[in-house]
Amino acid sequence: MIEWVHPGLIFIIGALLVPVFRGNLKKVYLIIPPVLALIDVVLMYMGSFGSIPASRWQLPFLGYELIFGRMDKLSLLFGLIYTLVSILLVLYALNVKSNGELMSQFFYVGSALGAIFAGDLITLYIFWEFMAIASLLVILHGGTDKALGAGFRYIMWHVAGGLILLAGIVLYIESTGSIAFNAFSWGTTSLYLPTLLIFIGFIINAAVPPLHAWLPDSYPESTYAGTVYLSIFTTKTAVYVLARGFAGFGPLMWLGVIMTVYPIFYAVLENDLRKVLSYSLINQVGFMLCGIGIGTTLAVNGAVSHAFAQILFEGLLFMAIGSVVYRTGTAKCTDLGGLYKSMPLTCIFCIVGAASISAFPFFTGFVTKSMIIDAALGQTGGALMYVLLLLASAGVFHHAGVKVPFFAFFAEDRGINARDPPLNMLLGMGITASLCILIGVYPHPLYQILPYPVDFVPYNVPHVVAQLQLLLFASFAFFVLITSGIYPPEQRKINLDTDWPLRVMGAKFMWFLHEPLTNLAKGLDHALKSLASLFAGYGGEKEERILIGVSVGIALLFLAFYLFMQMAYTWIFH
Amino acid sequence: MNDEILIAILALLGAIGYVLLLFGAKEPRHKYGNLFLALYGVCLIIVVVAGLFVQWHIVFSWQDLTSFYAIYGFSACVFLIYFAKGLRLWLPKEEDYYETRGVKNK
Repeated sequence: MIEWVHPGLIFIIGALLVPVFRGNLKKVYLIIPPVLALIDVVLMYMGSFGSIPASRWQLPFLGYELIFGRMDKLSLLFGLIYTLVSILLVLYALNVKSNGELMSQFFYVGSALGAIFAGDLITLYIFWEFMAIASLLVILHGGTDKALGAGFRYIMWHVAGGLILLAGIVLYIESTGSIAFNAFSWGTTSLYLPTLLIFIGFIINAAVPPLHAWLPDSYPESTYAGTVYLSIFTTKTAVYVLARGFAGFGPLMWLGVIMTVYPIFYAVLENDLRKVLSYSLINQVGFMLCGIGIGTTLAVNGAVSHAFAQILFEGLLFMAIGSVVYRTGTAKCTDLGGLYKSMPLTCIFCIVGAASISAFPFFTGFVTKSMIIDAALGQTGGALMYVLLLLASAGVFHHAGVKVPFFAFFAEDRGINARDPPLNMLLGMGITASLCILIGVYPHPLYQILPYPVDFVPYNVPHVVAQLQLLLFASFAFFVLITSGIYPPEQRKINLDTDWPLRVMGAKFMWFLHEPLTNLAKGLDHALKSLASLFAGYGGEKEERILIGVSVGIALLFLAFYLFMQMAYTWIFH
Repeated sequence: MNDEILIAILALLGAIGYVLLLFGAKEPRHKYGNLFLALYGVCLIIVVVAGLFVQWHIVFSWQDLTSFYAIYGFSACVFLIYFAKGLRLWLPKEEDYYETRGVKNK
């Protein structure tokens, strides 16, 4: 039997070796870690590593056993799609020059895989935070002042979310005495608060409104390749932990519905196409959370299969718009248009992604999203939910299906000089696009690896006709409105979102620090200096005063060290 | 077997209609723009006509309404745009909105 190696570790070691290679050799090298990781996960599927979880990967920690390798159908499904898509992403990102950026991308994938295979809450938390830091680095590599600001806001959201999660985990372990990460029960009152805290920690990463504002704020500020990475791992890891911990939790169902509807209005208004896609990402995760909240086997199957499919088509859309950014330097509707002649292949891939996210029959979205919508019908409040999910489906078709390809490739030709991106990027997009169509036409392999047995038939005549009526007439509405001039023209503006009070208050706070508080400090400083000058005779020469300062500093350090040792001693032996 | 062929034809029709719209609505008008739009119209008519012959799986009575999905898809999008236009009255701000809230501008 072969010894199991954690696929996340392959990426982390892979990241450390990136600076060793140069030039074309580096390009060859970059493909190796994701391919090894995929082979690793496939071997896990085939059961080559024996008992589950592999006992080699348990670590004692504070009297608990940490489990790094939990293998079941749910974690393996996410492991499979993460490693599969990372090959395509690496292919797409081969032209990235910065070693730092490539390394942070690998760290990001590695920590996401760590969170997926974590069998207990402590391991999950460690990788959860790792992922936040790695994704921050991916954002910061955008390299602009805007990326820096957005990165700071991003990490504040995630540190807050991480602390809430940690508080929940600590309380949970305190109440139950176990670190196991399984479905949470809301049964007893003592578990209510810890479970709620864990839930809030999870949904911040899933970008549930009103806690979503970090996502459209930060993701579009990364590089053309970094944004594609970001669009995949953080939110889908949140979907995974929610599917494991909170399947069938009623409020999640309605949070999911709100999450599908809320962003579609923003996506209409938004000028930056990567922001439009960020809002569509929130909308798609909403469908998944809704399915998880419903919690029936059909709904959970729908949710995780939709996560699988969405990683491919959302990645494809971000890659296509990333290629536009790569060639033109912008993703703004007001600057783009008419690119279908100069970037024909990118245009085709974008349309495939757009058709998949809109759930056209024969494209991935159709065979996965319809499971969730069908499952919603059987619920209490199913009629309202169904109508809202259909509204969200029409909405996502409108902004991701029509607006994104239309304003990038078809709207008013602005005579931009561009051409299709390099071969490796086209390959990355081409393979992703083929997978989108392949799964759409032939969904059985995907259905077979879902957590529960599937007896769902996506293709029947009423289903197909209903979906086509919905989509084609939604597109007809777009056509009527845009030709009659009712459609709101694109503006060079930003749109206020739920982070508005925080950001304005933050700005006010900074003003308070810079103006009144600084003036107060200067005043105090001045007063103290005048006081000190009264005693100026003491201490003699300047050097002597420095010496006194240094010796006082050393004394303080010793004191601090002594206190620390004292505390550590009490903590360990009592 | 017949159903499968019908589904395949309908699915292709949908995809073709969608692409026809993108090319038909583009600015400046394509040489064959009007032809594209006419064919797109044909696709719309076919899916509506197909809907008249379909046995719907009904959970709620309103699903049985003639061409419910077409009417809903159209009106949902119109509602979406008008609602968004309403939001546009107060959500959009200048691109440097947040930068000018802070220290630089007091």
